[in-house]
Amino acid sequence: MSAMRRWLPITLVLAFSFPATAVSQEGETAPGTAAAQETEAPQTVEDDRSALTDPAEADLDARAAEVAGGLRCPVCRNQSILESNADLSREMQRVVRERLAAGETPEEVEAYFVSRYGEWILLKPQARGINLVVYALPVIVLLLGFLLARNRLRKWASAGAVETSAGATGSGSIGVEDEEWLRDALRES
Amino acid sequence: MKKKQLRWLLPLVALPILWLLYWGMGRDTYVLPSPMAGLEAPEFHLVGFDGDTLSLADLRGRVVILNFWASWCIPCRTEHPVLVQTERTWDDSEVVLLGVVYQDSRANAERFLAQYGGEWTHVLDPSQRTAIDYGVYGVPETFFIGRDGHISHKKVGPVTWDLVRYQVDSLLAVPVSSANTGSVGGTP
Repeated sequence: MSAMRRWLPITLVLAFSFPATAVSQEGETAPGTAAAQETEAPQTVEDDRSALTDPAEADLDARAAEVAGGLRCPVCRNQSILESNADLSREMQRVVRERLAAGETPEEVEAYFVSRYGEWILLKPQARGINLVVYALPVIVLLLGFLLARNRLRKWASAGAVETSAGATGSGSIGVEDEEWLRDALRES
Repeated sequence: MKKKQLRWLLPLVALPILWLLYWGMGRDTYVLPSPMAGLEAPEFHLVGFDGDTLSLADLRGRVVILNFWASWCIPCRTEHPVLVQTERTWDDSEVVLLGVVYQDSRANAERFLAQYGGEWTHVLDPSQRTAIDYGVYGVPETFFIGRDGHISHKKVGPVTWDLVRYQVDSLLAVPVSSANTGSVGGTP
Protein backbone atom coordinates (compact mmCIF):
# COMPACT_ATOMS: atom_id res chain seq x y z
CA MET A 1 0.00 0.00 0.00
CA SER A 2 2.66 2.50 1.04
CA ALA A 3 4.89 1.34 -1.79
CA MET A 4 2.07 1.93 -4.21
CA ARG A 5 1.49 5.38 -2.79
CA ARG A 6 5.11 6.19 -3.27
CA TRP A 7 5.33 4.95 -6.86
CA LEU A 8 1.97 6.12 -8.15
CA PRO A 9 2.88 9.83 -8.41
CA ILE A 10 6.22 9.01 -10.01
CA THR A 11 4.62 6.78 -12.60
CA LEU A 12 1.99 9.42 -13.30
CA VAL A 13 4.57 12.17 -13.64
CA LEU A 14 6.64 10.01 -15.97
CA ALA A 15 3.60 9.04 -17.98
CA PHE A 16 2.58 12.65 -18.46
CA SER A 17 6.01 14.19 -18.84
CA PHE A 18 7.11 12.10 -21.80
CA PRO A 19 4.57 13.47 -24.25
CA ALA A 20 5.16 16.94 -22.76
CA THR A 21 8.90 16.85 -23.38
CA ALA A 22 8.28 15.44 -26.80
CA VAL A 23 6.15 18.48 -27.59
CA SER A 24 8.32 21.10 -25.94
CA GLN A 25 11.53 19.73 -27.39
CA GLU A 26 9.94 19.58 -30.79
CA GLY A 27 12.55 20.02 -33.49
CA GLU A 28 15.42 19.93 -31.06
CA THR A 29 18.09 17.28 -31.50
CA ALA A 30 17.62 14.13 -29.46
CA PRO A 31 21.22 14.11 -28.09
CA GLY A 32 20.48 17.44 -26.39
CA THR A 33 17.69 16.00 -24.29
CA ALA A 34 19.68 12.88 -23.48
CA ALA A 35 22.59 15.00 -22.27
CA ALA A 36 20.29 17.08 -20.11
CA GLN A 37 18.96 13.97 -18.42
CA GLU A 38 22.40 12.55 -17.91
CA THR A 39 23.70 15.65 -16.19
CA GLU A 40 20.75 15.68 -13.82
CA ALA A 41 20.70 12.02 -12.83
CA PRO A 42 24.20 11.70 -11.31
CA GLN A 43 23.58 14.83 -9.26
CA THR A 44 20.84 13.15 -7.24
CA VAL A 45 22.85 9.97 -6.89
CA GLU A 46 25.75 11.95 -5.52
CA ASP A 47 23.46 13.67 -3.06
CA ASP A 48 22.27 10.31 -1.81
CA ARG A 49 25.80 8.99 -1.45
CA SER A 50 26.99 11.92 0.60
CA ALA A 51 23.92 11.51 2.80
CA LEU A 52 24.86 7.90 3.44
CA THR A 53 28.44 8.63 4.44
CA ASP A 54 28.29 11.96 6.26
CA PRO A 55 26.07 12.06 9.39
CA ALA A 56 25.83 15.88 9.23
CA GLU A 57 24.58 15.65 5.66
CA ALA A 58 22.11 12.97 6.67
CA ASP A 59 20.84 15.19 9.47
CA LEU A 60 20.44 18.11 7.06
CA ASP A 61 18.60 15.86 4.63
CA ALA A 62 16.26 14.71 7.37
CA ARG A 63 15.50 18.28 8.43
CA ALA A 64 15.05 19.36 4.82
CA ALA A 65 12.69 16.44 4.22
CA GLU A 66 10.65 17.44 7.26
CA VAL A 67 10.20 21.00 6.01
CA ALA A 68 9.64 19.88 2.41
CA GLY A 69 6.98 17.43 3.58
CA GLY A 70 4.93 20.33 4.86
CA LEU A 71 5.18 22.48 1.75
CA ARG A 72 2.65 22.16 -1.01
CA CYS A 73 3.86 21.49 -4.53
CA PRO A 74 2.66 24.51 -6.54
CA VAL A 75 2.06 22.57 -9.74
CA CYS A 76 0.38 19.52 -8.23
CA ARG A 77 -2.78 19.14 -6.24
CA ASN A 78 -2.48 18.22 -2.59
CA GLN A 79 1.02 16.85 -2.78
CA SER A 80 4.07 18.01 -0.88
CA ILE A 81 7.25 19.09 -2.65
CA LEU A 82 8.92 16.11 -0.98
CA GLU A 83 6.59 13.64 -2.69
CA SER A 84 6.45 15.47 -5.98
CA ASN A 85 8.84 14.84 -8.83
CA ALA A 86 7.99 18.04 -10.68
CA ASP A 87 10.96 20.19 -11.69
CA LEU A 88 9.73 23.10 -9.62
CA SER A 89 9.26 20.92 -6.53
CA ARG A 90 12.74 19.50 -6.81
CA GLU A 91 14.20 22.96 -7.10
CA MET A 92 12.16 24.06 -4.10
CA GLN A 93 13.55 21.10 -2.15
CA ARG A 94 17.01 22.35 -2.99
CA VAL A 95 16.07 25.83 -1.78
CA VAL A 96 14.85 24.34 1.50
CA ARG A 97 18.07 22.40 1.92
CA GLU A 98 20.29 25.37 1.11
CA ARG A 99 18.44 27.67 3.48
CA LEU A 100 18.67 25.15 6.31
CA ALA A 101 22.36 24.65 5.55
CA ALA A 102 22.81 28.42 5.72
CA GLY A 103 21.55 28.30 9.30
CA GLU A 104 17.90 29.21 8.92
CA THR A 105 15.39 27.56 11.21
CA PRO A 106 12.61 25.42 9.69
CA GLU A 107 10.16 28.18 10.69
CA GLU A 108 12.18 30.77 8.79
CA VAL A 109 12.27 28.58 5.69
CA GLU A 110 8.50 28.11 5.88
CA ALA A 111 8.06 31.85 6.39
CA TYR A 112 10.06 32.50 3.23
CA PHE A 113 7.77 30.31 1.14
CA VAL A 114 4.67 31.77 2.77
CA SER A 115 5.93 35.27 1.94
CA ARG A 116 6.21 34.30 -1.73
CA TYR A 117 3.37 31.87 -2.30
CA GLY A 118 0.99 32.75 0.49
CA GLU A 119 -0.23 30.56 3.30
CA TRP A 120 -1.61 28.21 0.68
CA ILE A 121 1.88 26.73 0.32
CA LEU A 122 1.60 25.14 3.78
CA LEU A 123 -0.17 21.79 3.65
CA LYS A 124 -1.18 22.21 7.29
CA PRO A 125 -2.95 25.49 8.04
CA GLN A 126 -1.40 27.60 10.78
CA ALA A 127 -3.30 27.58 14.09
CA ARG A 128 -4.18 31.25 14.27
CA GLY A 129 -6.82 33.70 13.08
CA ILE A 130 -9.77 32.26 11.18
CA ASN A 131 -7.89 28.97 10.85
CA LEU A 132 -8.49 28.31 14.54
CA VAL A 133 -12.03 27.34 13.53
CA VAL A 134 -10.59 24.26 11.80
CA TYR A 135 -8.82 23.22 14.97
CA ALA A 136 -11.49 24.23 17.49
CA LEU A 137 -14.64 23.06 15.71
CA PRO A 138 -14.11 19.30 16.14
CA VAL A 139 -13.45 19.78 19.85
CA ILE A 140 -16.48 22.04 20.24
CA VAL A 141 -18.74 19.63 18.36
CA LEU A 142 -17.43 16.72 20.38
CA LEU A 143 -18.04 18.63 23.61
CA LEU A 144 -21.57 19.63 22.55
CA GLY A 145 -22.29 16.04 21.61
CA PHE A 146 -21.04 14.85 24.95
CA LEU A 147 -23.20 17.38 26.83
CA LEU A 148 -26.23 16.48 24.73
CA ALA A 149 -25.70 12.77 25.30
CA ARG A 150 -25.25 13.34 29.03
CA ASN A 151 -28.46 15.38 29.30
CA ARG A 152 -30.39 12.81 27.35
CA LEU A 153 -29.07 9.93 29.41
CA ARG A 154 -29.91 11.78 32.61
CA LYS A 155 -33.43 12.47 31.40
CA TRP A 156 -33.91 8.84 30.45
CA ALA A 157 -32.51 7.67 33.74
CA SER A 158 -34.81 9.96 35.72
CA ALA A 159 -37.76 8.96 33.55
CA GLY A 160 -37.00 5.34 34.32
CA ALA A 161 -36.81 6.15 38.01
CA VAL A 162 -40.18 7.95 37.87
CA GLU A 163 -41.72 5.00 36.11
CA THR A 164 -40.55 2.48 38.66
CA SER A 165 -41.65 4.63 41.59
CA ALA A 166 -44.93 5.97 40.21
CA GLY A 167 -45.92 2.87 38.34
CA ALA A 168 -47.38 2.70 34.86
CA THR A 169 -49.54 5.83 35.18
CA GLY A 170 -48.05 8.89 33.46
CA SER A 171 -46.55 11.17 36.04
CA GLY A 172 -46.47 14.35 33.96
CA SER A 173 -42.71 14.55 33.48
CA ILE A 174 -43.01 12.32 30.44
CA GLY A 175 -45.72 12.20 27.75
CA VAL A 176 -48.00 9.22 27.34
CA GLU A 177 -46.59 8.40 23.91
CA ASP A 178 -43.02 8.60 25.13
CA GLU A 179 -43.88 6.44 28.06
CA GLU A 180 -45.36 3.77 25.82
CA TRP A 181 -42.30 3.88 23.61
CA LEU A 182 -40.06 3.65 26.64
CA ARG A 183 -41.99 0.69 27.99
CA ASP A 184 -41.67 -1.11 24.64
CA ALA A 185 -37.98 -0.35 24.56
CA LEU A 186 -37.46 -1.66 28.05
CA ARG A 187 -39.40 -4.81 27.28
CA GLU A 188 -37.25 -5.45 24.22
CA SER A 189 -34.00 -5.01 26.07
CA MET B 1 -39.63 19.41 23.99
CA LYS B 2 -37.52 17.63 21.39
CA LYS B 3 -38.91 19.65 18.51
CA LYS B 4 -38.29 22.94 20.28
CA GLN B 5 -34.62 22.09 20.61
CA LEU B 6 -34.34 21.19 16.95
CA ARG B 7 -35.95 24.46 15.94
CA TRP B 8 -32.84 26.52 16.76
CA LEU B 9 -30.41 23.77 15.91
CA LEU B 10 -31.52 23.53 12.30
CA PRO B 11 -30.66 27.09 11.21
CA LEU B 12 -27.53 26.95 13.32
CA VAL B 13 -26.28 24.01 11.29
CA ALA B 14 -27.82 24.91 7.93
CA LEU B 15 -26.83 28.57 7.73
CA PRO B 16 -23.05 28.11 7.90
CA ILE B 17 -23.25 25.30 5.34
CA LEU B 18 -25.36 27.43 2.99
CA TRP B 19 -22.99 30.35 3.47
CA LEU B 20 -20.02 28.10 2.70
CA LEU B 21 -21.71 26.82 -0.46
CA TYR B 22 -22.54 30.35 -1.57
CA TRP B 23 -18.99 31.53 -0.89
CA GLY B 24 -17.49 28.52 -2.61
CA MET B 25 -19.55 28.90 -5.76
CA GLY B 26 -18.64 32.53 -6.23
CA ARG B 27 -14.95 31.75 -6.05
CA ASP B 28 -12.49 30.59 -8.67
CA THR B 29 -10.43 27.94 -6.92
CA TYR B 30 -7.66 28.32 -9.47
CA VAL B 31 -7.05 31.92 -8.46
CA LEU B 32 -4.84 32.05 -5.42
CA PRO B 33 -4.31 35.24 -3.47
CA SER B 34 -0.74 36.43 -3.85
CA PRO B 35 1.03 37.93 -0.87
CA MET B 36 3.47 39.69 -3.20
CA ALA B 37 1.41 42.75 -4.12
CA GLY B 38 2.68 45.81 -2.28
CA LEU B 39 6.00 44.21 -1.46
CA GLU B 40 9.38 45.07 -2.84
CA ALA B 41 10.08 42.98 -5.92
CA PRO B 42 12.82 40.39 -5.26
CA GLU B 43 16.14 41.20 -6.90
CA PHE B 44 17.42 38.91 -9.62
CA HIS B 45 20.50 38.57 -11.81
CA LEU B 46 19.56 36.68 -14.95
CA VAL B 47 21.35 36.14 -18.23
CA GLY B 48 19.66 37.31 -21.40
CA PHE B 49 19.80 35.83 -24.88
CA ASP B 50 22.73 38.14 -25.68
CA GLY B 51 24.73 36.74 -22.76
CA ASP B 52 24.51 39.90 -20.66
CA THR B 53 23.35 39.70 -17.05
CA LEU B 54 20.37 41.84 -16.19
CA SER B 55 19.33 42.86 -12.68
CA LEU B 56 16.14 44.44 -11.45
CA ALA B 57 18.24 47.20 -9.90
CA ASP B 58 19.31 48.23 -13.42
CA LEU B 59 15.67 49.05 -14.15
CA ARG B 60 15.00 51.13 -11.04
CA GLY B 61 13.16 54.35 -11.85
CA ARG B 62 11.19 52.74 -14.65
CA VAL B 63 7.94 50.83 -14.59
CA VAL B 64 8.72 47.14 -15.09
CA ILE B 65 6.40 44.49 -16.46
CA LEU B 66 7.91 41.14 -15.56
CA ASN B 67 6.36 38.38 -17.63
CA PHE B 68 7.10 34.72 -16.87
CA TRP B 69 6.39 32.66 -19.97
CA ALA B 70 7.36 29.59 -21.99
CA SER B 71 7.06 28.55 -25.61
CA TRP B 72 5.15 25.40 -24.63
CA CYS B 73 2.55 27.44 -22.78
CA ILE B 74 -0.66 27.85 -24.76
CA PRO B 75 -2.12 30.83 -22.78
CA CYS B 76 1.20 32.61 -23.44
CA ARG B 77 0.29 32.63 -27.12
CA THR B 78 -3.04 34.19 -26.25
CA GLU B 79 -1.46 37.04 -24.37
CA HIS B 80 1.45 37.58 -26.73
CA PRO B 81 -0.31 40.16 -28.97
CA VAL B 82 -1.12 42.17 -25.82
CA LEU B 83 2.57 42.21 -24.92
CA VAL B 84 3.50 43.24 -28.46
CA GLN B 85 1.07 46.13 -28.14
CA THR B 86 2.50 46.97 -24.71
CA GLU B 87 5.98 47.21 -26.16
CA ARG B 88 4.76 49.51 -28.95
CA THR B 89 2.73 51.78 -26.69
CA TRP B 90 5.30 52.92 -24.15
CA ASP B 91 8.88 54.02 -24.57
CA ASP B 92 11.59 51.83 -23.09
CA SER B 93 12.79 54.70 -20.92
CA GLU B 94 9.40 54.76 -19.16
CA VAL B 95 8.10 51.20 -19.23
CA VAL B 96 10.28 48.10 -19.55
CA LEU B 97 8.78 44.83 -20.62
CA LEU B 98 10.95 41.93 -19.54
CA GLY B 99 10.27 38.30 -20.35
CA VAL B 100 11.53 35.54 -18.06
CA VAL B 101 11.73 32.22 -19.86
CA TYR B 102 10.39 29.56 -17.52
CA GLN B 103 11.23 25.84 -17.82
CA ASP B 104 12.15 26.24 -21.43
CA SER B 105 15.24 26.36 -23.61
CA ARG B 106 16.60 29.46 -25.27
CA ALA B 107 16.26 27.84 -28.70
CA ASN B 108 12.55 27.15 -28.21
CA ALA B 109 11.94 30.64 -26.85
CA GLU B 110 13.71 32.24 -29.80
CA ARG B 111 11.75 30.13 -32.25
CA PHE B 112 8.52 31.22 -30.57
CA LEU B 113 9.53 34.89 -30.79
CA ALA B 114 10.57 34.53 -34.42
CA GLN B 115 7.12 33.21 -35.16
CA TYR B 116 4.99 35.57 -33.06
CA GLY B 117 7.13 38.70 -33.02
CA GLY B 118 8.22 41.02 -30.23
CA GLU B 119 11.47 42.86 -29.71
CA TRP B 120 11.60 43.19 -25.96
CA THR B 121 14.31 41.70 -23.76
CA HIS B 122 14.15 38.17 -22.39
CA VAL B 123 16.20 36.50 -19.70
CA LEU B 124 16.61 32.83 -18.81
CA ASP B 125 15.90 31.35 -15.38
CA PRO B 126 17.37 27.85 -15.71
CA SER B 127 17.45 27.15 -11.99
CA GLN B 128 13.90 28.50 -11.55
CA ARG B 129 15.16 30.34 -8.49
CA THR B 130 13.73 33.66 -9.66
CA ALA B 131 10.38 31.99 -10.34
CA ILE B 132 10.37 30.57 -6.80
CA ASP B 133 11.41 33.95 -5.42
CA TYR B 134 8.39 35.49 -7.11
CA GLY B 135 6.02 32.73 -6.01
CA VAL B 136 5.39 31.60 -9.58
CA TYR B 137 3.58 28.30 -9.92
CA GLY B 138 2.69 28.37 -13.59
CA VAL B 139 2.94 30.39 -16.75
CA PRO B 140 2.01 32.96 -17.76
CA GLU B 141 2.37 35.09 -14.67
CA THR B 142 2.94 38.82 -14.90
CA PHE B 143 4.17 41.25 -12.26
CA PHE B 144 3.68 45.00 -12.49
CA ILE B 145 6.50 46.76 -10.69
CA GLY B 146 6.55 50.49 -9.97
CA ARG B 147 9.42 52.93 -10.31
CA ASP B 148 10.23 52.37 -6.64
CA GLY B 149 10.67 48.63 -7.20
CA HIS B 150 7.47 47.62 -5.42
CA ILE B 151 5.04 45.11 -6.92
CA SER B 152 1.66 46.70 -7.49
CA HIS B 153 -0.11 43.76 -9.04
CA LYS B 154 0.36 40.13 -9.96
CA LYS B 155 -1.64 38.59 -12.77
CA VAL B 156 -1.93 34.83 -13.01
CA GLY B 157 -2.90 33.74 -16.50
CA PRO B 158 -2.88 35.75 -19.71
CA VAL B 159 -2.95 39.52 -19.35
CA THR B 160 -5.51 41.60 -21.18
CA TRP B 161 -4.83 44.95 -22.77
CA ASP B 162 -7.24 46.64 -20.34
CA LEU B 163 -5.34 45.27 -17.38
CA VAL B 164 -1.93 46.27 -18.74
CA ARG B 165 -3.08 49.78 -19.62
CA TYR B 166 -4.75 50.28 -16.25
CA GLN B 167 -1.76 48.99 -14.29
CA VAL B 168 0.87 50.88 -16.27
CA ASP B 169 -1.14 54.12 -16.32
CA SER B 170 -1.63 54.06 -12.56
CA LEU B 171 2.05 53.28 -12.01
CA LEU B 172 3.10 56.09 -14.34
CA ALA B 173 0.67 58.44 -12.58
CA VAL B 174 2.70 58.16 -9.40
CA PRO B 175 5.15 61.08 -9.35
CA VAL B 176 8.74 59.93 -9.39
CA SER B 177 9.48 61.71 -6.10
CA SER B 178 6.66 60.02 -4.21
CA ALA B 179 7.14 56.68 -5.89
CA ASN B 180 8.43 55.20 -2.67
CA THR B 181 5.15 55.67 -0.80
CA GLY B 182 4.10 52.13 -1.50
CA SER B 183 1.46 50.23 -3.41
CA VAL B 184 -0.78 51.66 -6.06
CA GLY B 185 -3.32 50.24 -8.38
CA GLY B 186 -5.27 47.05 -7.99
CA THR B 187 -7.63 45.21 -10.25
CA PRO B 188 -9.59 47.32 -12.73
